[in-house]
Amino acid sequence: MRAFAKAALLIAHVHFVRSLTGKRLVFCVLLAHLPALAGFVASGISSRVGPANLAANLGWMMLLQIAIPLVALIGGSAVVAEEIEDRTITYLFTRPVPRPALLIGRFVATAFLLAVVAASAVFFLLLACERARGKGGTFDAHFAATLYEAAVLGVVAYSALFAALGAFFKHPMILGVAYACAIEGFLANLPGKNQSLTIQYYLRSLIADEAAPAWRKVEGFGSAAFASVERAHIVLAAIVVVALCLGAWRLARRQFELTS
Amino acid sequence: MSTLVEARNLGRFYGDVVGVSDVTVSIPTGVVGLLGPNGAGKSTFLKLLVGELRPSRGSIQVLGHEPFGNRDLYERLGFCPQQDALYAEMTGFEFVAFLTRLAGYSRSDAEVRAVRALERVSLSDAAHQKTRGYSKGMRQRVKIAQAIAHEPELIVLDEPMTGLDPIARRDVVRLFTELAGEGASIVLSSHVLHEVEALTKDIVLLHRGRLLAQGAVHEVRALLSSHPRKIEIKARESRRLARALLAVEGVSSVKLSRDGHVLLETSDIARFERDFAAIAVAERAGIESYEAIDAGLEAVFDYLVEASA
Repeated sequence: MRAFAKAALLIAHVHFVRSLTGKRLVFCVLLAHLPALAGFVASGISSRVGPANLAANLGWMMLLQIAIPLVALIGGSAVVAEEIEDRTITYLFTRPVPRPALLIGRFVATAFLLAVVAASAVFFLLLACERARGKGGTFDAHFAATLYEAAVLGVVAYSALFAALGAFFKHPMILGVAYACAIEGFLANLPGKNQSLTIQYYLRSLIADEAAPAWRKVEGFGSAAFASVERAHIVLAAIVVVALCLGAWRLARRQFELTS
Repeated sequence: MSTLVEARNLGRFYGDVVGVSDVTVSIPTGVVGLLGPNGAGKSTFLKLLVGELRPSRGSIQVLGHEPFGNRDLYERLGFCPQQDALYAEMTGFEFVAFLTRLAGYSRSDAEVRAVRALERVSLSDAAHQKTRGYSKGMRQRVKIAQAIAHEPELIVLDEPMTGLDPIARRDVVRLFTELAGEGASIVLSSHVLHEVEALTKDIVLLHRGRLLAQGAVHEVRALLSSHPRKIEIKARESRRLARALLAVEGVSSVKLSRDGHVLLETSDIARFERDFAAIAVAERAGIESYEAIDAGLEAVFDYLVEASA
C-alpha cells in the first residue's frame, strides 16, 4: 500500500506539472469559461434578466450541462489514454509499481486541476451575472456555494467516469462524447425517473434547494423531483469510487499493443 | 551459466496475425542478440519478455518470473522500447530521474543515478534541455539511459541502435560491453547485424514469428551443412585456379569476377579447405588472398531465412 501511494503521488506530481503547460488545459480553461463569457455578454445587452436568474440559467444550461461534462471529458479521457496514445505507458508499466497507481495518480492531478478550472469558471460566471440589472434579485452566498459545489463535484465525477472509460477502451473520447450527448444530454432532460441514471440529476439535486429560488425559475427545473443533497453526495462519491475501482481493475489486466 | 529467459511453445497472435508462434527457447545470461528482418516477431518477443503483452499460447519465464505485471521482475529489469516516445515537456534529466524514482529510489539517489546514466550515454550536455528538442539519436540515448539508470540485472533493448550516427553507435556498443562486464545481462534486438556481431556471438534468429536458430554464431553456422559457403580467392593465375577448383567434390559453382577474383560456392567447406592448398600449389596459382565472404552474421541469417522459406 505504501508503494502504491508513493508511486501514485509521484505520478500525480509529474502529471500535474506536465499538464500545467499542456494545450489540453488551455482548451479546458477556454471551454469552462464560455458560460462566463456568455454571462458578460448577456448582462451587458439585456436589462430584463436579474443576476440570480441569469446565473441560474447559465449555471445550469451552459455550465453544468455542457461545459462541465465536456471539460471533464477532455481531461478525464486523457488520464490513461494519453499515455497510450503517446506510447509512453511502456515506461511506467515496466517499473516496479502497481499499475493502478498510474490511473489514481493521474486522476488525482487531473481532478485537482479541473476542479480549480471549474471553480474559476463559476467565479467568473457569477462575476459576470452580478452585472445584470434586470428583475429577479441578486444571488446570495448559499446560491454561489451550491453552484461551486455542483461544478467541482460534477467535474470530478465525470472525470472519474471518463478516466475509467480510458482504462477499458482504446478511444474513450468517442465513447465519452456519445455518453455525454445520449445519456447526460438527452436522458437527463427527459421527464421521469430515468433522470436518476445520470450524473446531471445529482448535480441538479445539489442546487435544487428551496433556499435558492432562482433555480426553480429555470425552465423545466421546478417541476422535477430531486434527490436529497445527502443522497446526491453519496451517489456522486459512489460513482467516483466505483469508476476508479473498475478502471484500476481493468488497467491491472489490460495489455497495450503499442505500435512502433 | 544460468537462464535468463525460458520460453516454451510461446505464441502471441494479434487476431489472425502471428506475432510469434510456437517459440521454445532458453536464453542464457550474458549478451544475446535477437535478430530477424522486419516483421520477424522480435518486438513481440521482447514485449512478451518484459510483460507488456501476455502470451496467447505457451509460457515465458524471465529470471524465474512470469513477466506480465510482475513487480519483482521489474526491480531487476530495464527496458528500452523501440517506439520513439518520450515526455516532451520534460528534460532528459527529469525523464530519467522520474523513471528511476519509480524504480524505488529516493529523489536524491534517483538524481545521482540519472546524472550518471546520462553521462554514460554521452548526453550530459543536453541533460537539461526539453526532450522535444532532442535529435533522433539523443532521444535514443535518453531511452537507453532510463533503462540502465537503476542498474538492472537484465537490460532489454528493442532496436537500440536505430537513429544513432556511427560514432554514437560505436559508443553505445562500448557501453553495452561495459555493462556486460559489470555483470548485467543484455538482450537486444536489431537488424544491424554487424553491430550485434561486434557485441556478442550469442544470437537468437527469428523469422515470421518462428525461431529459426539459436546459439553462438559458429554453432548456428554448423546448422548450415546443407548450404553452400561462398569463398573469394585472389590469385595471380585465377583462370587456371578456377578450372582446377571446379573438380573439387562439393564445389557447386566457380565464377570469375570482373576484377579477376575467383568466386566459388561449396557445400563441403571442410573438404574444400583440405584440398585447396594442394591444388593451389599444383596449379602454381599465386594465391594473394582467401576469404570466406559469407563468414559474417548477415550471411548466416540470409542462409537460414532462405532455408526456412
